[in-house]
Amino acid sequence: MDQLTEEPKKLSNDEIFDVLNQFITEVIGEEFVDEMDITPDSSFTKDLEMDSIEIVAFSEKVKLHFGENINFTGWLSNMDLDEIISLKLSDIINYIRQCQ
Amino acid sequence: MPVVDVQRVKLHIQELNPSGEETIILIHGMFSNLAVYYFNIAPMLAENFRVILYDMRGHGMSEKVKEGYDLTSMTDDLYALMEALHVEKTHLVGYSYGGLVALKMAVRYPEKIAKLAVIEGPDPNEQETLAIIDTYSKEFLIHYVNNFADTTKMQMGKRQLERNHRMYEFLFNETTIRSDMESEKDFFQHKALSQITHETLLIYGEHSNCVPSGEKLAAKIGDANLVLVPGDHNVPIQQPETIGSELLLFFNKDLDIDIYDSNLLVVN
Repeated sequence: MDQLTEEPKKLSNDEIFDVLNQFITEVIGEEFVDEMDITPDSSFTKDLEMDSIEIVAFSEKVKLHFGENINFTGWLSNMDLDEIISLKLSDIINYIRQCQ
Repeated sequence: MPVVDVQRVKLHIQELNPSGEETIILIHGMFSNLAVYYFNIAPMLAENFRVILYDMRGHGMSEKVKEGYDLTSMTDDLYALMEALHVEKTHLVGYSYGGLVALKMAVRYPEKIAKLAVIEGPDPNEQETLAIIDTYSKEFLIHYVNNFADTTKMQMGKRQLERNHRMYEFLFNETTIRSDMESEKDFFQHKALSQITHETLLIYGEHSNCVPSGEKLAAKIGDANLVLVPGDHNVPIQQPETIGSELLLFFNKDLDIDIYDSNLLVVN
């Protein structure tokens, strides 16, 4: 479970976005992604319509890819429901950038 | 995605703080999934405990199977999961129907269970769920989802509604869930419940129509403590911090640590 992926260099915002975009596609399926325009401003629940179990699957992918030193679940657990609902892709990109 | 094949069925699990000395297993409710605990309650408990969450058969990301939604099959799954993960003994937390799974587990395998926490466990004889199953329709789902959105602030979009609809359609029309739940109607009348000797915490929302069920359990189980918290049946989503704190207080009580110090030691 604890596969650490080597990240030899710090990723740029665009590179992190591409990775997250790929994860979202894997989680919710290409047929839905084709219909929506995913941008850093997309919110998880409102724009991408991800439900909680999909966010769990997404978190799992983030953890496996970026390593356990990014405490993604811990970071989410400090948010209340309103914050999670309004969470945008750019918030996660910024968090990952800070942790690198 | 971590999946454990317990021979019987493939179950999706999540584990936090695997090196924790004591284990807590969290069981979600019917038509729900492990996400009900994942974001707040589980990380709070994981500060001091190994925490294991799993999706019940047919739910969340676990295998979709046609039968085995009765409490005996559900506890067979949980027992097999404990074996597969080498968990000798565990604390249990169960929400709603998952609370009944936890109670059944304590009845069937008392030696495998340490403490027991039941959140909003309904008396299956009274609960509206069985009626809901009989009257299920897409219109009902929209009504149900809107009501859920009102009381929990969670809004569903079109795709989520479709996803939920597909899950209900599968469980209601393609599985034995209806008759399996029906067969558990007399669960609260079983003598075995009053033979539970585990220290038991019963948490109910003060505005929930399940409170009388909590009172019944409190009267039957010798070492039980009933706690009412603000909220209704959806209380783990409405008040995750309150539920997490109550559970921590309950499970930490006999732990051989200074709670204040242990909190100070949590560093990332």
